[in-house]
Amino acid sequence: MSKKIVMGGNDAIAYAVKQSFVDVISAYPITPQTSIIEKIADFISKGEIGTKFIKVESEHSAMAAAMGASIAGSRVFTATSSQGLLLMHEVLHWASGARLPIVMANANRAVAPPWSIWAEETDSLSQRDTGWIQFYASNSQEAYDFLFLAFRVAEKVKIPAMVCMDGFLVTHAKEPVEVFEDEISDFISIKEGRDVLDIENPKAYGALAFPKDYMPIKLEQNRAVFEALNVFNDVGNKFTSISKRRYLPVYTYGEEKADVAIVSMGSLAETAHIAVDNLNASSLKTKLVKINMFRPFPKNELKKALADVEHIIVLDRDISMGKGGIVKDEVAGSLGFDNVLGFVCGLGGYDVTEGDVEKVVKDVVDGKIKEDSYLWGEK
Amino acid sequence: MKKINKDEILQPNHLACPGCAAALSMRLALKALGKKTVIVIPACCWTIINGPLGQNYAGVPVFHTAFETTAAVASGIKASFMMQNKDDITVMGWAGDGGTFDIGLQALSGAAERNEDMIYVCYDNEAYMNTGIQRSSATPYGAATTTTPPPIIKDRPKKDLMELVAAHNVPYIASATVAYPKDFIKKFEKAKNTRGFKLIHIFSPCPPGHKSLESKSIEIAKLAVETGVFPLYEIENGVHKLSRKPKFTDVKEYLSLQGRFKHLTEQEIEHIRDNISKKWEKLNKKFDT
Repeated sequence: MSKKIVMGGNDAIAYAVKQSFVDVISAYPITPQTSIIEKIADFISKGEIGTKFIKVESEHSAMAAAMGASIAGSRVFTATSSQGLLLMHEVLHWASGARLPIVMANANRAVAPPWSIWAEETDSLSQRDTGWIQFYASNSQEAYDFLFLAFRVAEKVKIPAMVCMDGFLVTHAKEPVEVFEDEISDFISIKEGRDVLDIENPKAYGALAFPKDYMPIKLEQNRAVFEALNVFNDVGNKFTSISKRRYLPVYTYGEEKADVAIVSMGSLAETAHIAVDNLNASSLKTKLVKINMFRPFPKNELKKALADVEHIIVLDRDISMGKGGIVKDEVAGSLGFDNVLGFVCGLGGYDVTEGDVEKVVKDVVDGKIKEDSYLWGEK
Repeated sequence: MKKINKDEILQPNHLACPGCAAALSMRLALKALGKKTVIVIPACCWTIINGPLGQNYAGVPVFHTAFETTAAVASGIKASFMMQNKDDITVMGWAGDGGTFDIGLQALSGAAERNEDMIYVCYDNEAYMNTGIQRSSATPYGAATTTTPPPIIKDRPKKDLMELVAAHNVPYIASATVAYPKDFIKKFEKAKNTRGFKLIHIFSPCPPGHKSLESKSIEIAKLAVETGVFPLYEIENGVHKLSRKPKFTDVKEYLSLQGRFKHLTEQEIEHIRDNISKKWEKLNKKFDT
């Protein structure tokens, strides 16, 4: 039987980790991720879980130790944020290349300088080429559910996965979360067989590959990352049968035959939800297209969701300097549509309200905004 | 007399240069540790020595990893083995001096402070040899490298790894070299049978990097010990124990076998003699207590 607990995204992640038969955790504290690892340390100290927690001296070592535990055969979890994620960068590539299904939570936080501890997704989006699966949760319930899905998808395709949550807006905002009791155990206790360090079969992992070997290995890794889309659908089906909650790589909401689509991820999508309701109430046919899984990129799903829409508006809480919003760029580039406008907004936790979103939509529909822009100084 | 195990775990035809002491070190280490060993190898000569894709000359499982991650990856492997009740497997980090003294020092310090149950081995050939002989913080005063070409020699002494790790209060630290194989093996056996963090610092002659004859590696290693350049000792639970009292033969004999020192002036050699005396003055105080 399920029950509801009021939790922030961080609490929800820790709760899911507790239920996920995790063998080893290695982590290093960073705001706003800390309450995840504090909660887990508390579970361990109370004897509620038997997980081994390596309290490393940096995020770099957090990911390196996670790799060690994973190649030795364990299910491994870690969590980080912003500067910590960036410090991991080299090891993120290594974990994916070594095909280690580590699961990590990332509290999306703006990158310094200037110092900021508030929400922004530039940290994880700038890791999009590391070969990790990326989920973006918009609320505590998704954070909780995505963690289980992340383990199952990652282990099936042997590719690591991160579950991203906007700092404070998702990590700390408390809301009711429907949690499992024992009914998730059968789903999450499945651990796929894979190649691990074995003294009976002494192999070397990651040895030098000459060009003729390197490229096929990388193409196979790329195929495995793509495969995560199908696996997500498949595993998502099984998850639905337990939870009655259905997750797809892309979530749509609002008017099916809309004139305007708002594309977004994370906490912005929650705000856009309300904006879509308000716009539809004012007879502007609008829908929300929320990306749950950013890597692998759900191109076909997005194409379907955006096919007959007149105006596509992408909200980015991130920025690629000298280019613009990363999600906008990926959506427009991948689909080849020329009716996509991008709005960079909410950097460093700057507030974005449903009113801001509604105004942008109206300005685009009225022809007042014709090119990529920024949401700034509206308040 | 101690007999050295005749069983070979290291496979023949590995890719080390002729006269490489890093390969011989691995051979001896595995004789002491046995097959229930897994090795973490970062970027270093052993990345090459162990063979390309599909090869594994070490003969035990190897995880090749990023340059600076050895001690952290080994920590993770050990944690996993403990969770799986495979605690009888020895986890060994096997890194060069660059991966230990320089880029991997933070992870090493972290693992030592946590007293992770591993043997961390630094095979020290005193420069970045695999990338073509660039100076590291393990390069001794006066040595020529491609980034310290004479007359701009390295003017700082070698970092003291043993004492640096000793500051972490770990159970076992030792220095060893292939010229004294029984001492070498005894130290690996002791490390294997000690719980917690162990460091073994190996002096590893490198013919291409030291500009020495392939046939002279053992002699150079022996002279490193006998001239006092590389003291053989242990730090067991904080207690310093001298393994071999050097004859303190003149360092010139050691330097003259290696092209990397051929440019040195009499004054610079005198500075090296002086450094050796000072090092032993400090060490002897520790052995006395």
